[in-house]
Amino acid sequence: MYFARFITAALWLCLWLLDSSALASAPTFEADIKPLVAKYCVKCHSGKKPKGKIDFTKIATAQDAAAQFEVWESAIELLGDDEMPPEDAKQPTKAERAKFKTWYQERLVRSVKAHPGYFKPRRLSATEYRNTLRSLFGFDLEVAVVEAEQTVIEKSLVMKLLPLDPPGKSGFRNDTSGNPLTTVTWDQYAYLTDAALERFFSPSSKKQLEAITGPVVDDSITKSQAKKILRSFLPRIYRRPVPESDLSQAITAVNSADDFVAALKIELKAAMMSPRFIYRGMLMRGKSDVQRPVDDYELAERLSYFVWADMPDAELTQLAAEGKLGDSATLESQIDRMLASAKARSLAEDFAAQWLSLDEVAKNMRNPPQRIAFQSQPIDFMHHLFTANRPLIGLINGRFAFVNRYTQGFYSGDRRQLKPHKKPKGIEVQTVPNQLITLNSTPERGGVLTIPGVLQMNRGPVLRGVWMLERILGDHLPDPPMNVGQVPKNKRGQNLTFRQRFELHRSKATCAICHDKIDPLGFGLAGYDGNGGFAKNRRGPNKIDTAGRLPSGETFENFQELRQILVTSQREKVIRNIVRQMLSYALCRKLKIYDRPTVDKIVEKVNNDKSTYRDLIIEIANCLPFRQTVLRGKKS
Amino acid sequence: MSWNIDRRTFLRGTAGALLPLPMLNLMQASERSKKQSKPPVRFVTLFKPNGVHPPSWNINGGSEHDFRMSPQMKPFEKHKDDLLILDQMGDFGFSSHASSTRRFLSGHHTNGRSASIDQLIADKIGADTAHRSIELTTEGLFPNQIGCSYISYDRKGNPIPRETDPQLIFDRLFRSPLSDATKRQEMSSLLDRVREDAKSLSLKAGLEDRRTLDEYLSVVRATEKRLDNLNQASLSKVDFSKLKRPDTSVNLNDQVETMLDLIGLALWTDSTRCITYMLGNSNSRMIFDFLGVKEQHHYLSHFFRNSSRHNLEGLLKISLWHMEKFDYLLTKLKSYKDGNGSLLDHCVVLFGSGMGHSDNHTVTRIPVVLAGKGGGMLKTGRYLRYAENQRLGGLHLSLLRGFGIDVDSYAKSSTPLPGLDGSPIKTYKEQPFESWVKVQGKTITVQGRLRMSDNLDESRVFFVDVAGKPPVRVEVGFGDFHHFNLAYHCGTAVTMTGKGSQHDGKTRITKVTELKSVFGKKPGTLNG
Repeated sequence: MYFARFITAALWLCLWLLDSSALASAPTFEADIKPLVAKYCVKCHSGKKPKGKIDFTKIATAQDAAAQFEVWESAIELLGDDEMPPEDAKQPTKAERAKFKTWYQERLVRSVKAHPGYFKPRRLSATEYRNTLRSLFGFDLEVAVVEAEQTVIEKSLVMKLLPLDPPGKSGFRNDTSGNPLTTVTWDQYAYLTDAALERFFSPSSKKQLEAITGPVVDDSITKSQAKKILRSFLPRIYRRPVPESDLSQAITAVNSADDFVAALKIELKAAMMSPRFIYRGMLMRGKSDVQRPVDDYELAERLSYFVWADMPDAELTQLAAEGKLGDSATLESQIDRMLASAKARSLAEDFAAQWLSLDEVAKNMRNPPQRIAFQSQPIDFMHHLFTANRPLIGLINGRFAFVNRYTQGFYSGDRRQLKPHKKPKGIEVQTVPNQLITLNSTPERGGVLTIPGVLQMNRGPVLRGVWMLERILGDHLPDPPMNVGQVPKNKRGQNLTFRQRFELHRSKATCAICHDKIDPLGFGLAGYDGNGGFAKNRRGPNKIDTAGRLPSGETFENFQELRQILVTSQREKVIRNIVRQMLSYALCRKLKIYDRPTVDKIVEKVNNDKSTYRDLIIEIANCLPFRQTVLRGKKS
Repeated sequence: MSWNIDRRTFLRGTAGALLPLPMLNLMQASERSKKQSKPPVRFVTLFKPNGVHPPSWNINGGSEHDFRMSPQMKPFEKHKDDLLILDQMGDFGFSSHASSTRRFLSGHHTNGRSASIDQLIADKIGADTAHRSIELTTEGLFPNQIGCSYISYDRKGNPIPRETDPQLIFDRLFRSPLSDATKRQEMSSLLDRVREDAKSLSLKAGLEDRRTLDEYLSVVRATEKRLDNLNQASLSKVDFSKLKRPDTSVNLNDQVETMLDLIGLALWTDSTRCITYMLGNSNSRMIFDFLGVKEQHHYLSHFFRNSSRHNLEGLLKISLWHMEKFDYLLTKLKSYKDGNGSLLDHCVVLFGSGMGHSDNHTVTRIPVVLAGKGGGMLKTGRYLRYAENQRLGGLHLSLLRGFGIDVDSYAKSSTPLPGLDGSPIKTYKEQPFESWVKVQGKTITVQGRLRMSDNLDESRVFFVDVAGKPPVRVEVGFGDFHHFNLAYHCGTAVTMTGKGSQHDGKTRITKVTELKSVFGKKPGTLNG
């Protein structure tokens, strides 16, 4: 969780000195803020078990304060929402509140300048490794298995054998920095490399082989063809040009071997087991300890792994070689080309699936065609948002859906748009593709929040509220206390609804801090049952209470009104979260304090109803942390 | 066991088309194995999905040594002397696909908390080999009823993961740096290469790069250490480097034959002694498009519910294909010399399904064929039809004891199935009936046992056997076939009247007008 995760001391802090021109008169930490904190906060946030694991007594100097930027970031939010200090505690005066806000804005936020962060080599994730292998060789390394309806199997040999990457601090699996290479992974790399090379030189891959060597006679390549293979593969394996001396060394090794095909395989295997292949960015060179643009090959690699989760293709590499990729018009047209490619589906399957926890959708549904129907709905939806130039806020109010026979029941108003699908004779069960429909007469659907599988994944108001807060609004909640207990049943003679009993249960101040935020969102979706179905609301005592009041004071009667709030007064919050999530995925790391100016700048540009995901991708591809880096010197 | 291999012997011997390298006769080449009186006995299971089509599978009216193999058995008829065909195996009642799968190697479908017999046998015979046991299949998991996907279970009754990929199995058996000297050498020189590479990178690297390279180098060192620590003894005595790795399978047939090749090779090289292989999940919905069949196997297996000439022909094509694969396995095992006989002589091969009638889901007359002499455990060349239903648990108990496992009972069966080694059994007694044929002009009346044609390509053709005379050929349209339910009466005695002709002593009915069961029972109560 957020509070638990903040990093204690940052080595880099000395670099971001105060912007001295700004503020002579602004409050300072030691003179103004520390006494305020001592007066209102330290009572709970200190000692052996400080509340929320925040100990304010450990923040002694202005430097400490700046190092723990994230603590103040949430403190300012809680103060602004009147959530802290808690109601029953001593409250700061208006003047004190203002002083705190001024200090935060003028000293703290302004003190942090945009910085690209220090460069770190990053190991390819399992998905990236699979895709890269596919692009290198021109085939998918797959398990031989007969595919039949209703059966499931991991077809990719890479995904079957490589350990799944746990999400990094960013929450994304491409953030592999905390997941070191192990001997298990090493053995699997060695095995997969062998398997790929065996396949490449076998008759079944003649097409792929000849694409590089030209016609092959009698299934055996010549020495000059071996040379061609080395010249084609080595730069692609290393994802940048290889010095002529290295190339000729490899060529000589192959030429002088008794069994030159075996020697060729050894050269290729050594390259694919080298750190230059396994890690991204290992070969970036240049002046250290200064902020500078990344070179064009690194840019090609960043762009390609961002949009495709795959290595750069020939066109990107060519533009990098010509030094043209950094040019903004070129970059824009390349992004358009990349989004039009089938490989861009990784944005939905990897980025969106991890951001929105879509792997949890229909996880326990046992009938594969039905499960696939529910799982593919949000993935197809996100893919369409990303690649069909849809506005960012379409996440909440996109009036379209991907539907098939298993899910059409949820779209009664518009299901007639579906073209009928007829099963062939003798096929008992079948997985069927989704069709895109426009939501004209199904007002209760639209956007990712009302997709049946997403509603099923989060049953009940609390899970739904938490998911919306964290995944859609980008809020961070602390862990709930251990002793929350159960919502009590109705006592004899009592006739309260679940919502009424729940509200009594969580009326304690400690619960209210979070539940005031969670519950209105969660109960706003109460019109949708645990299966994601929507029931027309009833009158009288059985009426489902979907009304709510947000901490901002805004009220709504039902989900459609809540959705309207999300796309208007709460729009910036939603869009800021989209920007943060996508930037974090693109950079393969958790965003840091020094990314805030970058995020602010992008949000300012795209916080409107028209800016699209394509626009956002272009903004990200042009932003400072994506385009620049600092290499750490040998000794720092 | 230690094998002493003469390189020249690679030029002799036999092996399958997919592994075309000439193979050596390991067993003969070893001094030690000459002294060993008996080669080890292996246990192989081949599971057939979706029960059987009884009219074409069942043997009716034969005796232990004098029997006619059924039309579906034609593909492996040449192995008759190595077979022990068991009939009247099973229980009463109805079987689901999942319970039939559990039953096949676990004695009874309720036996859910114990190991299947292959695992118990592997515990007994698998300790000296590199791989205790190998579990194989052809298709993915069926999560809707997960039990359909597994025949092998561990001692807690949990399913054992199966592998589908022949290349992966080949590599595991013959290309592991743990057991293969060539592969170990290759890995070791690769480690040298990449270490040099990483070190030279490290010279120019910044702090973060160097941290990563240190991490990388520590893995390289750990791998080197692991290789060094591996005992020389863990290396296989056989040089596997000459074995050709199978190419990527192009279709199901290719994949299955490659896997059967590997089963032979794995047993013969004594890499393992216990293998189970499922030709599909027990309710398989595979499509056999390479046979020209477009419907799902499970759909076709309900041959009465989905009755049509076309569907039946599709089902029979698939069933024959399964039988051909059984033949392929037996031929393969016979092709390897093992001790003084063939590899098959030292195997117990169990072939069959966990269900009888694939449309009715019956548990009676489950197809079970044993093959191989099991080093003397089985007396083959026989057909045993027991007087009463025999639970699979009894068969399993017999096999367990045959492999030297001392147990009182298995899956609640405490009486081992008699007869496998030639011991006497109570055989099934058929009610005697007379057979005759009468021809009056174009009207033909015949009484005798109805059966399908031996040639399943002509599924429209049936015969009524008449003692001492040529059989009466019945060749009718789908209307008659369906209306009189000919397939249902197969194997039983009927009195049939119809229109037809007689030429050169051959009698032929082309239109059925009346069909009666000789013993007058209602459909659904007779055999088949």
